Amino acid sequence: MSLAELIRERRSIRKFNSTPVAEELVVELLQTAVQLLPSSAGVPWRCVYAGTPESRKRLADYMLQTVSHSRLGKLIPDKMLEVFKKRFMDIPAHVVVLAGTGPDPLASERNYAAVCSILQNFQLLGWERGLGMLWDTEAMIQNEGLFQGIGMRADERFVGILHVGYYNKAPRGRKRTPAEKKWTVFQG
Amino acid sequence: MLLANLAMEATGPVCFRNQPVPQELVLELLNHAVWAPNDGLREPWRFIFVDHRNADRMVGLQEPAPAYLIVVMKEEADRYKREEDFAAVSCLMQNLELLAPEKGLGIRRTLNEWRYDRQRAGTFGVLGNEWIAGVLELGYAEQVPGRPAADSRPELRFELL
Repeated sequence: MSLAELIRERRSIRKFNSTPVAEELVVELLQTAVQLLPSSAGVPWRCVYAGTPESRKRLADYMLQTVSHSRLGKLIPDKMLEVFKKRFMDIPAHVVVLAGTGPDPLASERNYAAVCSILQNFQLLGWERGLGMLWDTEAMIQNEGLFQGIGMRADERFVGILHVGYYNKAPRGRKRTPAEKKWTVFQG
Repeated sequence: MLLANLAMEATGPVCFRNQPVPQELVLELLNHAVWAPNDGLREPWRFIFVDHRNADRMVGLQEPAPAYLIVVMKEEADRYKREEDFAAVSCLMQNLELLAPEKGLGIRRTLNEWRYDRQRAGTFGVLGNEWIAGVLELGYAEQVPGRPAADSRPELRFELL
């Protein structure tokens, strides 16, 4: 598979099978993902990993405690929260990713962009090994319960939770707009 | 070729040959790069190509390069969508950087202070509801003697919950 094919054929995976994911593989892929970004040295970031049934349950509890106590959350039937929690806990692995903010807004944006680029490498490297992922940035999960539970600091920025697992079937791709339609040549 | 093997290849600083970069090549690579994950298929990006005829307009803003690609994103009112969009555009730029070496193209990705200078950005056609997500300095890469890939694994802060 060429690089272009890999980039075009990667899909976000929402439905995982129950094959376990080896923690060592996740670490290896993350390390390679960093190596693939030439300017990655010194970028402040970290991952918090939940790959055991116990840690997955804890992560789900952190996320849901705020949701179920919020005004909106009180309107969500318990049954639905249970379904959400089970689906979350059934996913083999979750990588919570945080980026350091840096001394000023520009540095923060640079760090954030660098970490996002590492995660794109991570997703592509995973795809090469048959691993599917979903980069979750749902507003609902970005709550105090989660942030406190994982120990996010004031100088950190939430980048997302990557849900990781093997899959049986990849969804079809959704067509992209040709770059030509979003292209302007500066005329001076 | 496996992407994983690319990480083992030597990377040096990117230097450019004094040679124009054809827009067709950039477009060809971009049409692969747009397969970046993006929430809701918003495809929040837009591209402004500054070629060799106008490269001097970047003096004082960017390092010298045969061409520049200003990658802009639309500014969403919603803060979560804004972050998702910046993430998506970052993935797109990363795709481009992965693809470029196969074509002999070098890319230096930058994000400089002038992204906050709306007037200056405007002279390049960046609209009021857009932000510069990155300026890519482009050129055919000079053969740079590669340094061997580091023996030690890069530092990774990986904590168990």
